[in-house]
Amino acid sequence: MCRHYPDEADSSLSRTTSRRKFLRRSSLAAAGVLSRQAWPAYIDAQAARSVPQGARQTPDTAPDYRIEISEIEWELSAKKKVRTAAYNGRIPGQPIRLQEGKPASIEIANRLDHAEIVHWHGQWIPPDVDGSMEEGSPMIAPGGHSRIAFTPRPSGLHWYHTHAMANRDLKHGLYSGQFGPLYVEPRANPGLYDQEQFLLLHDWEPYYSASDDGSLMVNYAAGSINGRMLGYDAPIQVREGQRILFHIVNASATEPHWLTLPGHQFQVLALDGRPVPTPAKVEALRLGPAERVSALVTMDAPGVWVLGEPQASFRNSGVGTVIEYAGRSGKPQFTPPAALQWDYRRFADPVPASYKPDVIIPLVFTSRFQGHGALDRWMINGKSYPETAPVLLHEGLRHRLVFDNRSLDDHPIHLHRHAFELVSIKGAALSGVLKDVVIVEAGTVVEADLVANNRGNTLFHCHQQDHMDAGFMALFRYV
Amino acid sequence: MKFSLFALGLLAASIPMARAQGNYEIQVYGAETVAPRNTMVELHSNFTVDGQRAYIQGAAPTYHAEHETIEITQGINDWSEVGFYIFTSEQSGLGVQWVGDHIRPRVRVPEKWRWPVGVSLSTEVGYQRALFSPDTWTWEIRPIVDKTSGRWYFAFNPALERTWHGPDVNQGVGFSPAAKISYDFTKKITGGFEYYADYGNIANIASLHNQQQQLFPAIDLNVSPDWEIDFGVGIGPTAATDHWIVKGIVGRRFDWGHKKKTL
Repeated sequence: MCRHYPDEADSSLSRTTSRRKFLRRSSLAAAGVLSRQAWPAYIDAQAARSVPQGARQTPDTAPDYRIEISEIEWELSAKKKVRTAAYNGRIPGQPIRLQEGKPASIEIANRLDHAEIVHWHGQWIPPDVDGSMEEGSPMIAPGGHSRIAFTPRPSGLHWYHTHAMANRDLKHGLYSGQFGPLYVEPRANPGLYDQEQFLLLHDWEPYYSASDDGSLMVNYAAGSINGRMLGYDAPIQVREGQRILFHIVNASATEPHWLTLPGHQFQVLALDGRPVPTPAKVEALRLGPAERVSALVTMDAPGVWVLGEPQASFRNSGVGTVIEYAGRSGKPQFTPPAALQWDYRRFADPVPASYKPDVIIPLVFTSRFQGHGALDRWMINGKSYPETAPVLLHEGLRHRLVFDNRSLDDHPIHLHRHAFELVSIKGAALSGVLKDVVIVEAGTVVEADLVANNRGNTLFHCHQQDHMDAGFMALFRYV
Repeated sequence: MKFSLFALGLLAASIPMARAQGNYEIQVYGAETVAPRNTMVELHSNFTVDGQRAYIQGAAPTYHAEHETIEITQGINDWSEVGFYIFTSEQSGLGVQWVGDHIRPRVRVPEKWRWPVGVSLSTEVGYQRALFSPDTWTWEIRPIVDKTSGRWYFAFNPALERTWHGPDVNQGVGFSPAAKISYDFTKKITGGFEYYADYGNIANIASLHNQQQQLFPAIDLNVSPDWEIDFGVGIGPTAATDHWIVKGIVGRRFDWGHKKKTL
C-alpha cells in the first residue's frame, strides 16, 4: 500500500513510497523534525511577538505543522505561470495528516501584505480556531503569525484554505493558491487499497464575464489538478489489478467540476470525509466547490488514460491528470461518458430512515440584481450578511434546515464546524449521507438535519467565493 | 447604421446637400462576439417617418420606406464570428426590393485576456444595388470598445468607410462614429441613448449642415439570454439626415452545443 500527496516537497518520497516510509515520515513531521528544518529562521524570531487575541500560543514546543503564507510564482505548465499566494511555497499546500482525537498544533505565519486567515474545513473544532473571522477566529496581520491547537475530528478527507474575502479582487481569497489537503486518520483504518492519491482541483486566472442570465460571473483561463495543468504533471503510475483510493477535493473558488476515468468506475466510499451507507459505483464524480469525494477505483483497463473533466472546455484548460499502467505508453486516451449523472441518493441508506425534527429552520436563497456589470447581491431570508438574522440553535436538538433555492444559480451550501444529514432532495427522502457541503440546485429545495452538538458561533454560507463575498452568509448561534 | 453610413456619408461628402438614403441596420456594436456553436438571427426593422423625399443620383428616397434586414451571425470560437446581411426595402412605387448583401467577419480580444475594456474589430464588405445606393461596393472597418460598470454601459465604434465601386470611389476614407450609453433600470429593462454620425471624409470633415447626426433614445429588453429586443426612435437634426426613424431589432440565439453553467 502506498500513498501519494500532491507534489511532495520531500523529494525522497516518490509517488510509490511505501506505507512504512510514509508513516515514518508522518511521525517525524508530527514531532516537528521535518517541518522545523524547513522553517525559516525569521519565523522563530517573530515567535516572541504578541499574537492576535483568540489564537493559542505555546512557544516552548514545536508545532506539528507550520504554514507560511507567501506570494510565489507557480508553474502551472511549461507555458503558463501564475503569481499567487500559497502555503509553504507550493500548490497545493503541504499535506497535513492528523490523528483523530489526538491534539495537534499548527503555526501559521503570514508573509503577505494583507491580513489572512486559514479555515480548517470539515473539522468540528472551536470557533476561535476554526478560521472564520465571522465566528470569532482572529485574522493574522500582515507579517504576523498565530499558533492554534485543536483536537481533530471527525476523521476522513478535509482541507484547509483561506477564508478571507476577495470582494472584487480576483487575486485574493480562494482565487489564490491558498489551499491544501487535510486528512484525519480514523482510529481504525482497514486499508483496503494499494495506493492512495490526493487530487485537488483548482481554477486559475479568473476574469469577469456576462452569464447567460445577464448577471456578472467569474470565468477562468486555466485549471489544474494538484497545481499542474493536464499533461504537465508526471503520470500517476499504477499496475493492473491495483485498487487506488482517490481522495478528491474541489478547491475551485466558484466552479463545479466533474471527473471521469474512461474504462473505469469510481466506488464512492465517503463524501466530505464521512463514509456513505451505500458505496455505489459511478462513471463520473461531481464535486461542487469545497466538496470532497473518497472513491476506490480498481485498475482493470490497462492503458494510458486521462483522469479529467469530461467537459472539454475545462479539460482543455488543464483540469486533468494522466493515469499510466505499468508497461504501457503512448498518448493518453480520453472518451467522455455517455451521460453525466449524479445523485446523492445513490449513496444513501437503501431504505430511508424517518426523523422527526425538533426545530424547522427555513433558509430561502434569493439574489438582487445590481446591474449587468456587477455581481448580484445574495440574500438568505431576504437579508445579506451582515444584516442576515442569526439562526438560533438549541443544543442537543434536531434542527431541520430547509434550503429553499429560489435563485437561478446552483449553490454549494456549507456549514462550518458541523455535519448535517441529507433528508430530502427535491421532495425525495434519503438518509445516511452526512455532509458539510451540499449542492442545492436552482429552483429546488434540499432538507438537511443538523443535530446541534458543537457549541459556539457557526458560519453558514455559499462556498462560491463571489457569492459569499456578496452577502450569502449567516451566523448560527447556540441559545 | 452601417449601410446608411456607407451611402449617406459618401453622398454627404460628394454633394453639397447630401440627404439620407436609407437605414438598414441601426446598431452600436458591443465588443462581445457570438459564442462558438451559436447562431444569432436578427431582424432589423426600420421605418423612416420623415426622410429624403426625392431621388438623388438615381437612389430611391427613404421617406416612408420600410427596411427589413436579416442578420445571421455565426460564432466561430471564443474570439471570432462571421455575420451575413440581407437588406430589403419596401416603399410606395417600388414594392418589396432586395437591396444587397454584406458579410462581416469580426475578432475580439478574448475575455480571458482580462483587459479592462472590451475590444473587438469588425470589417464589412458588401454590395448594394445602385437604386438604393450609388456606391455599390463598399468596405468598412469598425473598431469597437465597450465597458460595463455596475448598471452603466458604454460603447464606442469609430468606424471608417471606403467605397470600392461607385461615384465616390475617389472620395477617400469616411469617418462614421457611433456610440451608446445605457443604464440598467432593472434586470430586464435597459434604457439609454445611441448616437450615429457621418462626418464625411476623415481628412476633410464635412460642414455640420452636410454631416449626418442622429440620436436614438432606445430601450433594450433583456427578457431571456436567447432573445435580443431593442427599440428606438431616431432624431436627425441636420439636413443630410433622415429626420425621424423608428427602429426595432428582434434577435434569437440558437445554441448548438453550449450548455448553461450549472453545478
